[in-house]
Amino acid sequence: MRILLVEDEVRLAENVAAALREIPGYAVDCASDGQMGASLASNRCYDLIILDLMLPLLDGQGVLRKLRADRDLTPVLILTARGEATSIIELLNTGADDYLAKPFDLGELIARSKALIRRGKGVAHPLLRLSDVELDTLQQSVTRAGHVIDLTPMEYHILEYLMHRPKVIVSKRELLEHLYDYNWEHHSNVIEAHVSNLRRKLDWDATDPSIETLRGRGYRLSLREQPRG
Amino acid sequence: MRFRSIKTQLIVSVLLVELASAVLGTALVVLYERHARFRTFDIMLRGRADSLLGAVQDAEDAQDSVMLDGSEINLPHDDIYEVWDENGRILGHSPAWKIAVRSNVLATSQKQFEEIRVHGAGYRTIRMDGLRVVDPGDNNGGVRRHVTIVYGSPTSPVWQAVWNAVLFYGATSLILVILTGVVMFWLLRRGLAPLNELAAQASGLSVYSWRFAPSDRIRETTELAPLATALETAMQGLERSFKQQHQFVSDATHELKTAVAVIKSSLQLLSMKPRAASEYQAGLERCQIDCRRMEEIVVRMLTLARVESNTTSTVDHSSIHPTNLAQTVKNVATQLETFAELNRVGIEISVPNALTLDIEGDELELLCSNLLMNALQHSEAGDVIRVIGRSAGGWLELVIADEGSGIEKEFLPYVFDRFYRNDSSRSRRTGGTGLGLTICRAITNKAKGTIEIRSKPGSGTTVVVRLPLDRSLSTPTGIAP
Repeated sequence: MRILLVEDEVRLAENVAAALREIPGYAVDCASDGQMGASLASNRCYDLIILDLMLPLLDGQGVLRKLRADRDLTPVLILTARGEATSIIELLNTGADDYLAKPFDLGELIARSKALIRRGKGVAHPLLRLSDVELDTLQQSVTRAGHVIDLTPMEYHILEYLMHRPKVIVSKRELLEHLYDYNWEHHSNVIEAHVSNLRRKLDWDATDPSIETLRGRGYRLSLREQPRG
Repeated sequence: MRFRSIKTQLIVSVLLVELASAVLGTALVVLYERHARFRTFDIMLRGRADSLLGAVQDAEDAQDSVMLDGSEINLPHDDIYEVWDENGRILGHSPAWKIAVRSNVLATSQKQFEEIRVHGAGYRTIRMDGLRVVDPGDNNGGVRRHVTIVYGSPTSPVWQAVWNAVLFYGATSLILVILTGVVMFWLLRRGLAPLNELAAQASGLSVYSWRFAPSDRIRETTELAPLATALETAMQGLERSFKQQHQFVSDATHELKTAVAVIKSSLQLLSMKPRAASEYQAGLERCQIDCRRMEEIVVRMLTLARVESNTTSTVDHSSIHPTNLAQTVKNVATQLETFAELNRVGIEISVPNALTLDIEGDELELLCSNLLMNALQHSEAGDVIRVIGRSAGGWLELVIADEGSGIEKEFLPYVFDRFYRNDSSRSRRTGGTGLGLTICRAITNKAKGTIEIRSKPGSGTTVVVRLPLDRSLSTPTGIAP
């Protein structure tokens, strides 16, 4: 998952970005003012935007308004220091999805970020299940038919992203955009290598292939949702 | 506590004055009436005595004596009189004469008018000597007969009249007093209405409600206008300073919360998962830096509070030692030399040696170091900062000009605001607190000077500080090398 962090306090941004990169392993881009934040957000490659309110050039509410005016549905988490002119109610009505008051708890920030990303993908529970594959987004662990499958972080993130959108064809470009921040070189063959490793690990004991490759278009999970009961 | 009403006091005092004047007036009326009525009474007595004299006639006897013929005269029956001749022979007296004949009650006194009491009733008498000539047609001119008449009339009707007058006057005065009391009450109620209104509006003021808008009626009242205006300006000033304080607390809270958020997140990041010793080391060092920044914010906030609190209190100028500008600028430049060399920024100083100022040494130093540090932070490698000092007509001008990025026109009005950073990402990276220029302005305000910033984006910023010179010591000669 890729997150945009718009925060002008450089040290705070560094810490939040480091935590998001280390713990859930998200890709994080930082913007230090509102205009830069708005222009980065217009790329539509983020799964969550964390937005500070007091920003130079364009304040947080302005960025939020612009986003929602462009029909951007990305979840937005607002960081406030309270006592600011705009009220929480006003922010939520403008289109914010959640807020955290400074000084906040990093653990809470991460948990809220995960929840917002889940919700943004239309999932309510941290446990994702498709056919006999189970993915625990909290533990970042994967099992197939009860057997724990050991994945590298990048393999896990690719699988997580695909499991959030089970019937959709996901292009390599989309995977690149959502799993890497701007600090990485973008090479689509890196994705190819990760996907082939992931496929090998998932399918070593199974008859059905888990991920199908649609040439020139991308990848799609071939796992079917289990009938309930 | 007993309330004292101005209205009641006014009414009572006016009524008391009226009452006293009514009493005094009545007393004067008594005196005047008595005097006037007794004058009339005396004239009347004289007239009656004269008519009695007319009734003394020739007795037509051998001795040519006179007699009183009472048949023709018509006198009130209450009156008393007695007539006697020169020999003391009683010629006659009134029918109601109650004094013993020849008791000499009247004869003894030679006074013309006399107050006597007869059987308990008061009488006023007149004694009149008359002359009657018997047979004036005779050769020898007739016989002259002297007669003495004493005539008295009861005084009770006069006193009655006086009393009536007093009664009338007293009653009228009393009615007038009551009437004016009522009118006064009504008039004062109307007259004091603006005062009541002012009191009502002033009582509406509280810690939470600063609005004080006196009505036009109050503004147009000469006696209340100064009070209303003073209250209005005081409340507005209080509201403004309260709002400023509120803004400051709000801004300070935001800054401190952000600083705490940085430290908290740094520590939480460290403790999220087990790390190598070197990682902990680096993390702790970052925490130290974060703490230092927070410390700096607190110190600067305290500095600002100190400078601003001294502004309002009266500064004893005799306690301030004159400070040499050139020396201070040199000190500051020495302190910042390393930083300037590190950024390869040059500093040119041209300040006359003998310029002294009535300002605290450490405050002038703070002012210079803040401005110079600002200039340094906004300069790039190869730039030169010029510090120029000159005296101009009792004022000292300190100009600090840099060749840095400058400030956009729309941000210029806000640069002195607390916690204002026009280029946030940059000044935060350089450790700015957003209080430097605010402190500078507070210092110049305290020294009764001015500070001004001119800037052109791209070609640099010029700060001009104007401070009043210490005239007793300044000798504008000599330029520092």
